[in-house]
Amino acid sequence: MTHKIIATLWRYSPLLLLAAVWEGVTQAHLVSQYALPTLSGVLTSMWTLAIDPDGLVYHTSRSIMRGAAGLGAAVVLGTTAGVLMAWYRPVRLLLKPFIQMFYPLPKSALIPLTIMWIGLGDPSKITLIFIGSLLPIVVSSFNATRGVDSVLIWSARGMGATDRELLWEVVVPAALPEIMNGYRVALALCFILVVAGELIIANNGIGFLINFLGEGGDYKGMFAGVITISLVGFLADRGYIMLMRRILIWRE
Amino acid sequence: METQPAAASAGASRAGIVIEDVMHEYRPPRGRPVLALDRLNLEVKEREFIAILGPSGCGKSTLLYLMGGFMPLQHGQITVNGKVVTGPGPDRGIVFQHFALFPWKTVRDNVLYGLEKQRLPRAEREDIAKRFIDLVGLKGFEDSYPSQLSGGMKQRVAIARTLAIDPDTLLMDEPFGALDAQTRSLMQEELIAIWNRSPKTVVFVTHDVREAVLLADRVAVMTARPGRLKEIVDTKFPGGLDPDIARTKEFIERVDYTWNLVREEAVRAEREK
Amino acid sequence: MATVAPRAASALGQRRESRPALARAFDTFAPYVIIGVLLIAWEVAAQEKLVIPFLLPALSVVLERIGTDLTSGALAYNIGITLYRTVVGFALAAMIGVSIGVLMTRVVSVRWFFDPLVSIGLPMPKVALLPVFMLWFGLFDASKILMVAFSACFQIIITTWHGTQGVDKELIWSARSLGAKDREVLWEIVMPAAMPQILTGLQIAMPVCLIVVLVTEMQMGGRGLGDAMLVAARYAQTPGVFAGIIEIGTVGFCIIKGMEYLRKRLLVWHQETMREETTV
Repeated sequence: MTHKIIATLWRYSPLLLLAAVWEGVTQAHLVSQYALPTLSGVLTSMWTLAIDPDGLVYHTSRSIMRGAAGLGAAVVLGTTAGVLMAWYRPVRLLLKPFIQMFYPLPKSALIPLTIMWIGLGDPSKITLIFIGSLLPIVVSSFNATRGVDSVLIWSARGMGATDRELLWEVVVPAALPEIMNGYRVALALCFILVVAGELIIANNGIGFLINFLGEGGDYKGMFAGVITISLVGFLADRGYIMLMRRILIWRE
Repeated sequence: METQPAAASAGASRAGIVIEDVMHEYRPPRGRPVLALDRLNLEVKEREFIAILGPSGCGKSTLLYLMGGFMPLQHGQITVNGKVVTGPGPDRGIVFQHFALFPWKTVRDNVLYGLEKQRLPRAEREDIAKRFIDLVGLKGFEDSYPSQLSGGMKQRVAIARTLAIDPDTLLMDEPFGALDAQTRSLMQEELIAIWNRSPKTVVFVTHDVREAVLLADRVAVMTARPGRLKEIVDTKFPGGLDPDIARTKEFIERVDYTWNLVREEAVRAEREK
Repeated sequence: MATVAPRAASALGQRRESRPALARAFDTFAPYVIIGVLLIAWEVAAQEKLVIPFLLPALSVVLERIGTDLTSGALAYNIGITLYRTVVGFALAAMIGVSIGVLMTRVVSVRWFFDPLVSIGLPMPKVALLPVFMLWFGLFDASKILMVAFSACFQIIITTWHGTQGVDKELIWSARSLGAKDREVLWEIVMPAAMPQILTGLQIAMPVCLIVVLVTEMQMGGRGLGDAMLVAARYAQTPGVFAGIIEIGTVGFCIIKGMEYLRKRLLVWHQETMREETTV
């Protein structure tokens, strides 16, 4: 057990090295305070903002809520659409052209559109995240379902499974690893869209906060915000991986 | 039935291959190290065709890799033609079970590769390459890519590629193991034909007893892990290397004898699992 | 449409028997028909005022707007400058990313240093650093290009690293026993062998570049498609926003297709090119 802890510490030690360099270089005034505040200053600011009722916690939670709402809807709708597309030819014929048309569109191009259509508040952000995350989920669910080993399907059919049972009891579980990988990609995209949307136009959220503090000259706070959302994004990804391992525990 | 006890012999100045006191430990990133080879001593005469036979996990491939210089020697010494092995080199050509062809190169370019490394003039390179591609029966496929070839064809390219640089020693790691039974038989016959035409020192690793007895002058049977030399069986038949030997009574008896040696070890290896 | 005809799950679990020519023709033309119907419906709905013109301008109006932009030169300029920022950022990310990835395989200290950085950096929403980049590098092209490069390089580093590290050691051993020296092994064996994965990393990084470049333009201004769309939104010029979406969508499509084509050319020898697998 201790061996593992030491190994992890060693693996992440370059970060400690960088942190030390950051602090050292800024304290020695080798870099302007206006370009890069000291690490200790940033961390102090992070603490101040954290306990501030109107600060980090409030804004970060707003961002997380928006992201979760948009992503959640995309997961439900996207997975259903992708799986049904793979299973039923009429659905595939109908939806495939749309998927292929919208796939190459960079999702951030939708920001002005959602602003115009829905306004500045939460609904437009959530819609943006929903539409943006939808496509990767549909595509990976589709590919995953189509890619299920025929041998599994033949065996199940041979045991008398109906088409519906076959789909939900055999094919979807078999496709689940790849589907869940698609969710991971969508999760990262979701974070990008949340922050991007808030940077450009919003009046709350972590992106807004970073921008606001930066424009106001509070660079310590700005960096604190950046570190916070980076950490959240990182933990979300790691957390999701652990969840994936749990759910897919049957995988070798 | 002549057999030789495992012989240990000094003589770094001797031709052929001398393996002295070789030990090798496999150290996985997690878990305890495992002894793969234990005090191995073996001498291979020049232009001798020797097979190394043993159950899975006995370290026969490891021994081959050490001879090739692909892995650092932990203990002991290996000498090839008087020179101590410190790394890979064109004097020891290698043929792998899974062909190891460069997939982005055509058949011709694969065979040319070693010749290019030897800095031969272009006309000579092309000429030699052509000769060896024809030799292994792949005339007409020079511009094909490996992914377009069958298993047997890929292995022929691998053999042509290695033979083209004319190494003194040929190391073969279960070269026909990935082929179907029929192709395997054909390839064995072809290898015999090639060797008869230009004999080299060949070290041939296999787990197929019949193949070993058919192809080799001597068969070195290894024990289950950790690999030691169990016994060396003489499998040189009068009349030289010849596929028709397989029909004789003498051959069948020799295979039987060798198989029983291997069987003991295979059973032991199975139990160890 | 909810019932399942035996052919509905055709590629799944059943060998695809050759289907009548009519059905196959249907398959090829159906997508275009559907899109055609959609476009017509769009135009009709707008003309018949079935939708609020503000929300959904007629297709003809949008196309007209694209036409005006084209003749005024604004379209060419915007596409040009957005592409310029994207391509330069991408190229920067590719050069730096591939170099670091290869070095990570070859030099242990490089791997030690960058491993946690890329491991943490990849899932981070790197756009959050946009205000920092603006602070450090200004409000013009430099900061946009650097932001694009920064966002894309993590993916390229990781894929290159894994690609070069995972090269079959038997290939390397064969090369060495054929007389290749260390440097030759790297350039003549490892790089070509890792090329499929490196290219995949680049193909994944490009859409990231496009997404980020638009965000930088929306945030900082300075012309370009992202800026043009946001300005149009601010002035409630719906046709402009739609025009922008069509334009950037087309650009994205061309770039993706271009990269796929390049991949096929570079990896002529690869099984997948030979097999011609197609998914969505």
